Amino acid sequence: MSIYRVTRRDFLRSAGVGAGALVFGFSLSPDELLAADSKLKQLLHNHVILNPFVALQPLDGTIVIVTHRPEMGQGIRSSLAAVLADDLEADWSRVKLQMADADSVAYAIKFPGADVGFPDKVSVKLPFPYDEPPADGLVYAIPPEGSQFADSSRSMAAYYQTMRLTGTGIRLVFERAAAKVLGVKDATECRARQHKIYHVPSGRSVDFGSKRLLIHAGKEAPPTLGDIVKALKKPADFRFIGKSMPFVDAPNMVTGKAVYGADISLPGMLTAMIERCPVANGQLESFDATAALAVPGVRKVTAVLPSTVAPGGVGRAFVPHAGVAVLADNTWAALQGRRALRPHIKWNYGPHRSYESSAYRKELEASTAAAGKTVRETGDVDGAFASATKVVEAGYYVPLLAQAPMEPPMAIALLKGGESLEVWAPTQNPDSAQLMAGRLAFGIPESDWEKEEIVAKLRKNVTLHMPLLGGGFGRKSKPDYIGEAALLAAQNPGVPIRVQWTREDDIQFSYYNAVSSQYLKAALDGNGYPTALLQRSALTSFFGTLFSLDKATQRAKTLDGGVDGYASGIERAQGLEDMPFVIANLRIENCEAKNHIRVGWMRSVANIYHAFGICSFADELAREARRDSKDYLLELIGEGRDLSRVLASQHVKQYRNNELPLETVNLPDKSGQLMEIVGAFPPHTRRLRAVVERAAKECGWDEKVRQYKDVKGRGIGIAAHRSFLSYVAIVADVSLNDKNELTINEICGVIDCGLAVNPDRVRAQMEGGIIYGLSYALLGEITVKDGAVVQNNFDDYPVLRIHQAPKISVHIMESDQPPSGVGEPPTPAVAPALANAIAAAGGPRIREMPFNRKVVVL
Amino acid sequence: MAKFQLHVNGRWHPVDIDGNMPLLWALRDILGLKGTKFGCGVAQCGACTVHLDGRAVRSCSVDVGVAALSKITTIEGLSYDGEMHPCQKAWVELGVPQCGFCQPGQIMSAAALLAANPHPDDTQIDAAMRGNICRCGTYPRIREAIHKAAGDTTS
Repeated sequence: MSIYRVTRRDFLRSAGVGAGALVFGFSLSPDELLAADSKLKQLLHNHVILNPFVALQPLDGTIVIVTHRPEMGQGIRSSLAAVLADDLEADWSRVKLQMADADSVAYAIKFPGADVGFPDKVSVKLPFPYDEPPADGLVYAIPPEGSQFADSSRSMAAYYQTMRLTGTGIRLVFERAAAKVLGVKDATECRARQHKIYHVPSGRSVDFGSKRLLIHAGKEAPPTLGDIVKALKKPADFRFIGKSMPFVDAPNMVTGKAVYGADISLPGMLTAMIERCPVANGQLESFDATAALAVPGVRKVTAVLPSTVAPGGVGRAFVPHAGVAVLADNTWAALQGRRALRPHIKWNYGPHRSYESSAYRKELEASTAAAGKTVRETGDVDGAFASATKVVEAGYYVPLLAQAPMEPPMAIALLKGGESLEVWAPTQNPDSAQLMAGRLAFGIPESDWEKEEIVAKLRKNVTLHMPLLGGGFGRKSKPDYIGEAALLAAQNPGVPIRVQWTREDDIQFSYYNAVSSQYLKAALDGNGYPTALLQRSALTSFFGTLFSLDKATQRAKTLDGGVDGYASGIERAQGLEDMPFVIANLRIENCEAKNHIRVGWMRSVANIYHAFGICSFADELAREARRDSKDYLLELIGEGRDLSRVLASQHVKQYRNNELPLETVNLPDKSGQLMEIVGAFPPHTRRLRAVVERAAKECGWDEKVRQYKDVKGRGIGIAAHRSFLSYVAIVADVSLNDKNELTINEICGVIDCGLAVNPDRVRAQMEGGIIYGLSYALLGEITVKDGAVVQNNFDDYPVLRIHQAPKISVHIMESDQPPSGVGEPPTPAVAPALANAIAAAGGPRIREMPFNRKVVVL
Repeated sequence: MAKFQLHVNGRWHPVDIDGNMPLLWALRDILGLKGTKFGCGVAQCGACTVHLDGRAVRSCSVDVGVAALSKITTIEGLSYDGEMHPCQKAWVELGVPQCGFCQPGQIMSAAALLAANPHPDDTQIDAAMRGNICRCGTYPRIREAIHKAAGDTTS
């Protein structure tokens, strides 16, 4: 039984408008449970399944919440579960979390356009806040993603509503069942409160653990969505939402009991170390295994890819690089075996051998020196430059960056009986990992990879377990390392194979954040305000890695660029097309950048270079105009406007608002009734303005500016940026001494993420995101020579250490807006705020990362 | 291969392995103690930090043959009788971990610091902890947690 459900077929039938909706299903009856044959059932055996997300444990009444999103440090397991538990009126001490397996059937519904293999979108949105149910009885929906793909800081924005509705629906079922247990006619007199249901007039109660409650709940007719909407808790009654909830996994993490992928040990397991071709798309020519096999404990040396699979690299999505694996009894033997093997492999490097970073930088800068494809335009830019009092221009450069999560990639795979594959792996993208593992292990020809029946079969035959991730930052969105384990498992049926990456592997075979050149040029009027702005961006799009050129034509419409050497619509929407400043004459251009290495994404992705360019340039203009940097920034932002309307009027074709719809559309539901789907996260510059004002107030901007004017080598800088639907302002306070040594005295950060569901984790993400931003701004750079990455480990790819971490103060805006992302938004404004502070302190104007080329970072 | 007696967390463990195997892999692969993590393999990140006779060392860069001469303590042996070490308690109370992967190493370094210097200031904390990388950026809370574990008020 279900409260409401749109099956995939139903959904596709009504999908003409380009957006979709689903309300979750419930499954309560024991009969259905017995008939069910899902992985979820195995996961929850001994439990009565209440719906795809929750189980009530018999006898003790423990509520088991199946957490379906990968946990990589964002605390999402705790936070989403707390939302559901709040509306369910569960006692938090009687709630247990159970990590789900990859199961896109249980958690996802296909969305039109999902042919690219990207997140599926499904969910429900109600008017916010929920003080009153919608008068017309309609359900308002947005289609965020319904998959398990932890990406784009979307978990809370996408699932907040679903968790609330699920919790409330179950609470209603309990309350109605309790009325029967207590012999009460009017179920509305029964109210759940902290794991008990009270009959309010008499004060009698029944516990969630009551056997009779469970039996009656199993027979209860499902509440309608309308009933659920009416029964949602009022914000004033929240117990957990908006309060700092404990991070459930912390006690296990600090005692060493938390289980990460590499901590899983299976009988007879072999450990594999792989020597990979250092150049993208390069092929294995030959190898001699003799030396490696002579190492004690080494069992086997074998090519990873079969001859039928072309090696990974540019245009090859998640296919692994060519490689030779050394399989051994333990990690140390595998490491030594690989070392012995290394000199005895011959590669055919292919065309990307000539890729070299400094030459490529010149190529990129030449690209932004010329006109690109116009993606946004208003007014007469060329005319304004011709009549300008003053013209200012600057170029900014951000190199390739590696995510370098603390846990290097690894995966375990086991082929059982030739037809089923079991995988244990840290992954941000369980769905994609499950499919890629199956495709490679079962030798599916590439022409069949996307076929519906093949996909369905793989989902059935591949089980993927999700241990905790020791950090992700985008690296573990790509399942290449899981594919390696699957391929080796296929070669060794019945033997569990653990592919373990070293730090060197991780640094040298990442999917790097794009290398980028930004060119900005402004015309200033007599008051120093820009009358015209020309903005050009060249970046190596990740779509060049994901899709081959021959697929470009069929993908071009969905991806809107990206496959032909230009930034895609997704990347352009991350701080380029949605440039927030009020400028009368504006042109934004997308410039060409060809891929020669695997490019993926890293925490905040294209916002990194776009924010660095535009937020640094704003400060440069302020200095040029001899204005206060914060006042000037506020003037550029203006009083506030819905940017999506501005973009629509300035020829932006399809602005991608973190893949959430901007406009209201009507969709028929299963019964044919129209459901209104409302865009819930319009980009509004009033909110950007507000975080700047708050940051200025919290850090004492005006006072400090006055004070530091007379202090040599001291300065503050500010930057603000919207990304992943949230708004962040950063103020950096720095000192530079006579030796050009940089000290960061303090970073002040303000975030508007709508309702802060779990403020302590929001704060933690702000602290961590700021440090991540400082890390790449100050120290990070990946360079390539002869097509191969030069850096190896934390000694030559340094990241921020504790002595370099400044004091950080975090402020969260009070908000009645729906919750939005917090994982990535803290990061983009950090580097420009820091560059601006260094300039204010009398240091150099830094226009490229890493900053340690221009200032000394101790 | 060679035979060693490893004294780990108060117990003797006989092993018969390559004496050049780093202690990290002996702990993880041979003894099955998985709390000590592999992060870099070259003593750069501190995820594999354990105590040798109370001193914090990077177990990825100590041969097992050398480690056999000392008393070895890992994160699993830091707490006594199920009672968490003050650092572990402070780490939980202040919500230090994010992904958690580096935290066993961080805590082993912090515990060794507090044993040698019961009331470190921020500079001393930074000096003792700079060998431990955290990519999630939990450094501000680590500092605060060490002060708390030391029983000192935090600013």
